[in-house]
Amino acid sequence: MKTIVTAQKLVKKFGELVAVDGISFEIREGECFGFLGPNGAGKTSTIRMIHCVSPLTSGRLIVNGLPAHIDNRALKMMTGVIPQEITLDTDLTVYENLIVFAHFFSIPKREAKKRIADLLQFVELEAKKKVKIDELSTGMKRRLLIARALLNRPRLIVADEPTTGLDPQAKHLIWQRLRQLKTQGATLILTTQYMEEAQQLCDRVVIMHRGKILKEGVPSKLVAEEIGREVVEIRIPKEDDEKVLSDLASFSCGHERVGDTLYFYCRDGQGLMKKLVELDLHNYLNRPASLEDVFLKLTGRGLIE
Amino acid sequence: MNLSYRVYYVFYRNLVSYKRFIVPTFLVSLIEPLFYLITFGIGMGAYIGYFGGKPYLNFLVPGVLVSSVMLSSTFECLYGTFVKIVHEKLYDSLIATPVSAEDAVAGDIAWASFRGLVSGTLMLMVASVMGVLPATLLSVPLLLVLMVLVGILFGSLAMIVTSFAPSFDFFNYYTELIITPMLFFSGVFFPLDKFPAWMKTFSSFIPLTHAVNISRAVFTGVYDRGLLFSFFYIFILEGIAFFIGLKSMKRRLIK
Repeated sequence: MKTIVTAQKLVKKFGELVAVDGISFEIREGECFGFLGPNGAGKTSTIRMIHCVSPLTSGRLIVNGLPAHIDNRALKMMTGVIPQEITLDTDLTVYENLIVFAHFFSIPKREAKKRIADLLQFVELEAKKKVKIDELSTGMKRRLLIARALLNRPRLIVADEPTTGLDPQAKHLIWQRLRQLKTQGATLILTTQYMEEAQQLCDRVVIMHRGKILKEGVPSKLVAEEIGREVVEIRIPKEDDEKVLSDLASFSCGHERVGDTLYFYCRDGQGLMKKLVELDLHNYLNRPASLEDVFLKLTGRGLIE
Repeated sequence: MNLSYRVYYVFYRNLVSYKRFIVPTFLVSLIEPLFYLITFGIGMGAYIGYFGGKPYLNFLVPGVLVSSVMLSSTFECLYGTFVKIVHEKLYDSLIATPVSAEDAVAGDIAWASFRGLVSGTLMLMVASVMGVLPATLLSVPLLLVLMVLVGILFGSLAMIVTSFAPSFDFFNYYTELIITPMLFFSGVFFPLDKFPAWMKTFSSFIPLTHAVNISRAVFTGVYDRGLLFSFFYIFILEGIAFFIGLKSMKRRLIK
């Protein structure tokens, strides 16, 4: 598969602060590539360099064969950006927002009108065409941001935490639309803090922390390699750890103590669960391992601020 | 410098949003100068009497006209642009499109100049109704060109201020300490010939003084060679302010 984005030793500094610390990665055409990480990991700084609104401090960044640069209009022409913040034009209606934006891409008026009609249908906002932005719900605003990002029929779509603050219905609708775009051949670059979102959408992910890439891979494989298949959480006081651990020593599960919880990472949690019943412990939980466990294992379970 | 025809797209965006503000802004542009002209022109005019053979109102109109252009273009690039950058984050989405930061800023300056032109033209109409008219109809285009230049100049200067303003309150320094005093040093309300020499020199550096001189010549029909210099001075300052405005604003926008 052709690569569409190549980054080598990419660095972004804001004064003394190193936001992106010499990362290298490749994004293939037609895939959905996710940047995961806690707040301040450098995800947004990275994608802002990819879609040419932020200059690189050093390193190399090639997008579709061209060097990414803030004045590279050709790249901006083929990129659609779904921003993290709601940057809609509040002085304008839904329709006006789109027609003005179509202008920015030099799309002729007749063609723009056709695309707007299609896109409003795509994001299910036809009925809101003449409504002012203030009267929309957050979910509607996010959907409008998606429609706006698609006006120029982008080959590369950059979505920065596209479902932040949405209810489950709105979130699922957006996921469906993003998957639909991928099947239509667009390359999708996503940043998210929601591991479920990454598992739902991404073919490959990188986990970022403090400006560096800690891990790269296919979500399901990362989970299997780093965690196993299942997680058993037992909530017991720390003093009891020694006893429980010796009782469970026969199971080949990795374990970790965080706060009030003892975590076991197992290939198969069934035997362990039976033993817990025998031990007469009550406060426990068996669940499939998720990308969230990988994420927490790599970036630490403590608060990151 | 990365300027292109896309400046027009930003201007167009402002035009679309203007639809909703057109009535209040027209009213303000009409009523504000009316207050000036009625209170100063008639009230003060009664004391001052005739100025060079004509009522005080005739002296007042040309100056108030260019100051209204100055004020509306200034406010557009201070408050209008600040809201678009900080509150609405409009510029963030703009610069992710083929519209560059320079296009966006120049589009807003062009818009500010247009707003100035609208204010000035409305003012001209008010003055005509009150019987104060340019010397000849032929000089009206010159006045319109002057308004566009003054609009770009003060729009650009305001843009420089906005580029490092941390909040709205910051604008008070600029409007109260620079813009308002300029009105009194530039011969809008009274002639400058009674100023001591050093104040005259000071006034001659103020761009508004030159704009007032040109505007007044349009109304009296008395032109002299100094006006050519005035035009040139405004033009040069405008070029410098425009360039710095774009540069400093880009620094604020691109991080």
